[in-house]
Amino acid sequence: MTDTWTLYGQTFSNRLLIGSALYPSPQVMSEAIEASGSEIITVGLRRQSPEEAGGQSLWTHIQKLNKTLLPNTAGCHSVKEAVTLAQMSREMFETDWIKLEVVGDDYNLQPDPIGTIEAAEKLINLGFKVFPYCTDDLVICQRLRDVGCEVLMPWGSPIGTGRGLMNPYNLQTIRERLPDIPLIVDAGIGKPSHAVMALELGYDGILLNTAVAQATDPVRMAKAFRDAIAAGRQGYLAGAMPERQTASPSTPTLGMPFWHQQ
Amino acid sequence: MKVGIAGAGLLGRLLGWQLQRRGHQVTLFDAGDELATDSAAYVAAAMLAPYSEAVTSGAELFGVGKQAVSQWRELLQQLSESSAHAVTLNDSGSVVIAHELDRANLQHFSQKLRAAVGDDSSIKTLDRAGIAELESELPIRFSQGLWLAGEGCLDNRALLRALHDVLQAGGAELRWHCPVSRVEAGKLNTPAGTESFDWAIDCRGLGAKTDWPEVRGVRGEILWVRAPEVQLGRPVRLMHPRYHLYITPKPGDIYVVGATEIESESQAPVTVRSQLELLSALYSVHSGFAEAQIVGSYARCRPSLPDNLPQVQVSDGLLRLNGLYRHGYLLAPTVVESAINALDGDVTGTFVQNALTVTS
Repeated sequence: MTDTWTLYGQTFSNRLLIGSALYPSPQVMSEAIEASGSEIITVGLRRQSPEEAGGQSLWTHIQKLNKTLLPNTAGCHSVKEAVTLAQMSREMFETDWIKLEVVGDDYNLQPDPIGTIEAAEKLINLGFKVFPYCTDDLVICQRLRDVGCEVLMPWGSPIGTGRGLMNPYNLQTIRERLPDIPLIVDAGIGKPSHAVMALELGYDGILLNTAVAQATDPVRMAKAFRDAIAAGRQGYLAGAMPERQTASPSTPTLGMPFWHQQ
Repeated sequence: MKVGIAGAGLLGRLLGWQLQRRGHQVTLFDAGDELATDSAAYVAAAMLAPYSEAVTSGAELFGVGKQAVSQWRELLQQLSESSAHAVTLNDSGSVVIAHELDRANLQHFSQKLRAAVGDDSSIKTLDRAGIAELESELPIRFSQGLWLAGEGCLDNRALLRALHDVLQAGGAELRWHCPVSRVEAGKLNTPAGTESFDWAIDCRGLGAKTDWPEVRGVRGEILWVRAPEVQLGRPVRLMHPRYHLYITPKPGDIYVVGATEIESESQAPVTVRSQLELLSALYSVHSGFAEAQIVGSYARCRPSLPDNLPQVQVSDGLLRLNGLYRHGYLLAPTVVESAINALDGDVTGTFVQNALTVTS
């Protein structure tokens, strides 16, 4: 049985969404993305003078990979900027998918939850399929769902920090309370083990960039994440045993009364 | 031999001069002027930073780049012998520092540096006292850093001028404001018509894109400031979450601060955001920059190939040199040497792609 998932009506088998920035070169980027097995690539164009197609050369490399593109609004600080850039991206990449990112704090790039909800609603009314990057707040996630987002992307920790899942309890709560919507951990993933944890929690996918692009060996790290995500997903599907307070030997210890063996 | 070179930025000039020294008859064409004002070479910091650059570009670049300081020492010696010009080469290394909040970036830099370079006696860890000893004006809040003793920088504008003068004095034909639209085997196409040579050499950088579609531009924004209140003796690299920022001293109290790196071929002027980031980084390193004068702000595109390493393509009567990316001064001596050897029939040099039938 193949284990697939669906985002806005499109079905995928790989659960990694990967970014296209910060690699040592376009060639390494292409090799790493191929090695990751990812089927969805995020692209940002805020700083590339999109009005004159300044980034065309890099986009050619990305388009050659023949993957589904998820343009983002990284670097936008207001609802208006995000909506304008989303419209530009739709025209340029011929897709109504948009990863919505409205920056609230400039230093750690924490999303502005209020602006994100407002922009999501506007974009959905304009026919976009919105992938909102948000904090791990249940109520924000519910509001985003209510305005029509069919996928949610709470952070693990702030972008680029590589600190992993800072608050697994919050992430678990979101999963339990919103069992039917695809959930992707976006941002903060630094090591493959972080990805395993997210998938084990029942998250449907991972979105990352820096962890692979800035690794000493990006291509090898991409493979590591491919394997980690597969392991985490299998672990989730297989149903992990619950944690117990005391260590319990799996075979009875010889010579000890059975009531002492618990 | 009669050699026609399209593009007289750093690469075209250096190659032209070296060919002239070997007795060839050189003609240089460039869309710009004799100071190379439009080139990336004119605005660059001209650092020779094989260690720092190996962090992103890896061991292959390091292997070549670590010779750069001694290669330039020799080239500048030759230049001073054949002209009145003395071009300054600062070979006192560079200092790498980070603000407390970005300490993880310094650690990451150090980790990748050692992965690319291995153990190298040129890399020295600095504490507060060590930083103060090298650069007494850096504020004491910088408590950790690195000294990369094998790095340096040179006075690029003086170099570009000196190369122009020595080419002219040596009888090279120099055609300024003369763009070359196409370079083919033994031929250069200009608005005035096609000219024939024994060898046609393409050093146009991003301008070569029509003949070499894989060439792309990577936008960089850079500022030149004059700061008499500041005395830094060597390039200072500041770890920043998004860029490799550096402050490079030049003669005349000039400091070059750069550079952004954006995957875009836009040549539009420096943006407010980039200027804010560069200037706040500058000010955060030394408060004496507050009253510095901004004497230039530039945006240029670094000519790059998909692996961000250079290539010298060789075929009959045609050489194409490109892809120096952010490593123009670091790699130009090696690229030029490979090109000269290729003209002499030796196609085993570094970065050489020997293709007897080049498709363009």
